[in-house]
Amino acid sequence: MRGIFHYLWRYRVRIFLGLLALLIVDGAQLIVPLIIRAAIDQLSRTGTAQLVLFAGYILGIALVVAVFRFFWRYFIFGASRMIRRDLRDRLYAHLVKLSANFFANTKTGDLMAHATNDVEAVQFACGMGILALADAIIMVSFSLAAMLSINWQLVLYAFTPLPFVTVFVVVIGRMIHKRFLAVQEAFSLLTEKVREAIAGVRVIKSFAQEAGFSKDFRRTNELFIQKNLRLVRVQGFFEPMIALLAGLSSAIVLLVGGQKVISGAISLGDFVAFTSYLGMLTWPMMALGFVINLMQRGAASMERIERILKTEPEITDAPDAQPFPARAAIECRRLTFSYPVAEPSANGHPVLRDISFSLEEGQRLGIIGLTGSGKSTLVHLLLRVFDPPEGTLFIGGVDVRKIRLSHLRQAIALVPQDPFLFSTTIRENIAFGKPAASEHEIVEAAQLAGIYDEILEFPHGLDTIVGERGVSLSGGQKQRVALARALLLNPKILILDDALSAVDAEKEEEILRNLKDFMGSRTAIVIAHRISAIKDSDLILVFDQGHIVERGRHEELLALDGIYARLYELQQAEAEVVKKL
Amino acid sequence: MSYHWEEEKLGAAYDSALMRRLLTYVKPYRKLFAICLGLIGIITVCELALPYITKIAIDRYIRPGQLSGLYGLTALFVGILVVRLFASFAQVYLLQLSGQKIMQDMRTQIFEHLMKLPVKFFDKNPVGRLVTRATNDVAAINEMYASVLVYLFKDVFLVLGIFAIMIQLNWQLGLLILVLAPVIAYATWEFRKRARDAYRDFRRKLAKLNAYMQESISGMRIIQLFAQESRSYQTFQSINTEEYEANMRQLMVFAIYQPIIHLMSAVAVALIIWYGGRGVIGGIFTLGSLVAFLNYVEMLFAPIRDLAEKYNILQSAMASAERIFMLLDEPAEDRGRGRVLPSVQGAIEFRDVWFAYEGEEWVLKGVSFAVRPGERVAIVGPTGSGKTTIISLLTRFYDIQRGQILLDGVDIRELDIQFLRSQMAVVLQDVFLFSGDMLGNITLQSETIPRERAIESARFVQASSFIEQLPNGYNAEVKERGATLSVGQRQLLAFARAIAFDPKILILDEATANIDSQTESLIQESLQKILRGRTSITIAHRLSTIRESDKIIVLHKGVVVEQGTHEELLARKGLYYALYTLQFAEAQAVKTA
Repeated sequence: MRGIFHYLWRYRVRIFLGLLALLIVDGAQLIVPLIIRAAIDQLSRTGTAQLVLFAGYILGIALVVAVFRFFWRYFIFGASRMIRRDLRDRLYAHLVKLSANFFANTKTGDLMAHATNDVEAVQFACGMGILALADAIIMVSFSLAAMLSINWQLVLYAFTPLPFVTVFVVVIGRMIHKRFLAVQEAFSLLTEKVREAIAGVRVIKSFAQEAGFSKDFRRTNELFIQKNLRLVRVQGFFEPMIALLAGLSSAIVLLVGGQKVISGAISLGDFVAFTSYLGMLTWPMMALGFVINLMQRGAASMERIERILKTEPEITDAPDAQPFPARAAIECRRLTFSYPVAEPSANGHPVLRDISFSLEEGQRLGIIGLTGSGKSTLVHLLLRVFDPPEGTLFIGGVDVRKIRLSHLRQAIALVPQDPFLFSTTIRENIAFGKPAASEHEIVEAAQLAGIYDEILEFPHGLDTIVGERGVSLSGGQKQRVALARALLLNPKILILDDALSAVDAEKEEEILRNLKDFMGSRTAIVIAHRISAIKDSDLILVFDQGHIVERGRHEELLALDGIYARLYELQQAEAEVVKKL
Repeated sequence: MSYHWEEEKLGAAYDSALMRRLLTYVKPYRKLFAICLGLIGIITVCELALPYITKIAIDRYIRPGQLSGLYGLTALFVGILVVRLFASFAQVYLLQLSGQKIMQDMRTQIFEHLMKLPVKFFDKNPVGRLVTRATNDVAAINEMYASVLVYLFKDVFLVLGIFAIMIQLNWQLGLLILVLAPVIAYATWEFRKRARDAYRDFRRKLAKLNAYMQESISGMRIIQLFAQESRSYQTFQSINTEEYEANMRQLMVFAIYQPIIHLMSAVAVALIIWYGGRGVIGGIFTLGSLVAFLNYVEMLFAPIRDLAEKYNILQSAMASAERIFMLLDEPAEDRGRGRVLPSVQGAIEFRDVWFAYEGEEWVLKGVSFAVRPGERVAIVGPTGSGKTTIISLLTRFYDIQRGQILLDGVDIRELDIQFLRSQMAVVLQDVFLFSGDMLGNITLQSETIPRERAIESARFVQASSFIEQLPNGYNAEVKERGATLSVGQRQLLAFARAIAFDPKILILDEATANIDSQTESLIQESLQKILRGRTSITIAHRLSTIRESDKIIVLHKGVVVEQGTHEELLARKGLYYALYTLQFAEAQAVKTA
């Protein structure tokens, strides 16, 4: 609740103005029965009345009400929408600071649920919740006061059903809540059954078990319906019952009030006004339960949002962070690394074991190995996607953990295995890291990445939209756009992490040939499956299950006659096969 | 930055073709629906009667001062309240009952249709989106059924009833109030147009915001690696502000419409006081009638006030219906030509098979090979050579473009698809587990497999050793989609599943992940047992499996480049030889590392 109050406080002026407008609206509405009373009393007593005046009053009040009705909506609901906007802003601003580990352990769906459902629940609590609460308080206290002023005994009579209403609301309310939770649970089960059947549809089909799963689903469906009807049986009773009790109050007023009019204790106008006030009470009383529910949900949602906002980013600048070192040499000293235990796939095994190597500025490192051997992890550590253990990974003699994060990431460009593109134009994707890039720079990067000619063939050239996550491009095209995106950064260190795997071998070689000049003075790390892509490197490392099993230059590795040599043989054999076809 | 997503489709709030199709779901429950309407009629009459009783009370008893008649009238009042109570309860219950039944039918139909769709469809549609069809979209339609459709009748009854009574009480005043109708109709018409536009604009902006956020979360690593956090935040902020502004515009439309309707009801009240009051003075109108008019006007405006809300519900239900029907109109998978073989030997042949998932990007290019009944065949080749595709084609997850796949000499497209798939069991390296217990994961809900046979199968493949150690044994729950089980245990469970179905043909994709040596030897042992007496096709990663195969097929870029026994292929010193020596070298390196 405190979190919500914090936001309400921020918009206190609007909320205050809104509540003031509400007070005016409610107050004015409460005067109308008094005018009607006066009119009826004049009519019944004297047989004449200043009808035009009364009708004028009613219209005048109605105009005031209309104006202020607009204002409370505008101020209170407006403030709740501002809170919705602010909360989302804050959530997003925090998300961009959080580390890879957080995203690995949090489902995108859950985060989206926080940004949509939870933010909405807070908005409702701040808008509808505050409004209905204030409205109930004002209406109940004012109409009660007006009714008491008419005849306090009649109030006592009219309110005899009230204790029943209270007991009824409490008891049935509790039952409804319990049964509602059961419905929610059944709904989750139902959702999970559908999700599972779709995710496992290939298994179900391959064992030809569609009928069995449909039958099972029908059972869950039936269960859900039953839980729903169980809820309906009490919930369906709730409103008619409240209506009955409210109706009983009216019946009592009809009888007792009628008697009092006849006996002259109250006037006919009093009687009519009293009935109107009674009618005005019903809704706010019924709304009270609904308000409490809204507030509770809002508070729970706020708590979930705050839990994210309180998550500290794991990877941050060290207090004594330094700029990127002048010399882009890389050194790795006895690096052993396991993913933080919370990661599901981690199970505590080291992904990298005892890795050491050093690379001078301007040199090129080639890494080869099976999938899952830890190559990508190594480059992620260099970029501090995860933090390496202290004293294991250095650039220009400085521990990467001591380099300012923004400098580190601006100086190193990574072309990842899975080339994630954004749903915008090719131009904006290439210029992603440098939005101010000139046309010339973009074209040059695209040419260097060997994609420019193909871009020109697209209907809108550089302004072609790549579709959701790049669906309208082929795998190889996406990879080359991602390469151009990295090249445009003009990085000190360039890392290609199996970046051209979807590009055919000839094209890959051509691109790498073109990149030679670009790489010239830069430090580069190339991870590849094809030996042809790395055989000219200054140092080649062969990874297997987190270890470096072989190291050296191409010729040295061939002479070693180990995995590297076998791999080379295999790729030669494949090339032979391809030639024959 | 300009972002582009598929915009959420928002058709008209009311589409008669869609509505007609929706009504076909109501048809089986038309009796319930008719009873609901009848009850609604009774409730409406009750509600109309209450102010009339007050009128009679004032005119006949309170004003003349006749107390005795008031008792009977109050009793009538209470009696009507009780009737209304029971009618309301019955109506709500029956309405919900029919609504739930309709939802159940719809959901079942959606689920069953999903099960019939081809695998290709699931490749293209994200799971989450499909789940929404069967859950939230159906719920949106129920919302419309339960809180709009029936109440529309109620509102019409009520409004007609009120005017009938008003005209009867005093036709001049009744007509005078009716004069307000065009004003209200005009305001509502204007509002409807604006509300629809504002709603659409808001939904579009919201969809854009959600899409941007979702994409950013998925691509957060790229945003951070390119140090674009602050720019990405600025973009989000501007999209968020746009959504806020659209939201505010929608708020304004409502903030203007609602007071206008209230104002109209005040005008009606003023008219009653002025004109009705004059009537009372002139003696042509009673005070009781005046009070009744005031009460009826209050009732008259209630349905108009929630019109806006009902309109929103209608609109979102129509959008949901459109999405659901689009899914239901997806063509089901081809079930084959229905042929069933009396007995299956297990011979498989690929004859010049060409296949592409998309257009002309061939994954298999003229693949031919034959497997004799009972033979063990291993397929080897680098990643992307088309091995997994061969498995998908055998079970007809996809249909080939050229050539033929034959089972016992019959084209598999001739066979009934259920029959075809029942002859094979597929074990993939990534074992999919369902929620429920161990037993259910072995039998896959099939009622033809008794518990004993499932347990026997588990024992046969030695999965029993870990299952029986669990607290509830075969009834132990599979938690978190099997995350608590090791890769090896999941493999064994999948073997048990395959054996329980006793297939003629086994198709295996060997697990590449690390499995501890104890489980590994367990798996190898079980594998030997389950392969006995069956035709098998294995995508092999392990040297031992490859060596013991009767035939090895070497695949490279969708072409069979070599085939033969282990010894024959080694002697050729070709691709297989190179693959084999590399694997051997790797195995050595791991041992020494």
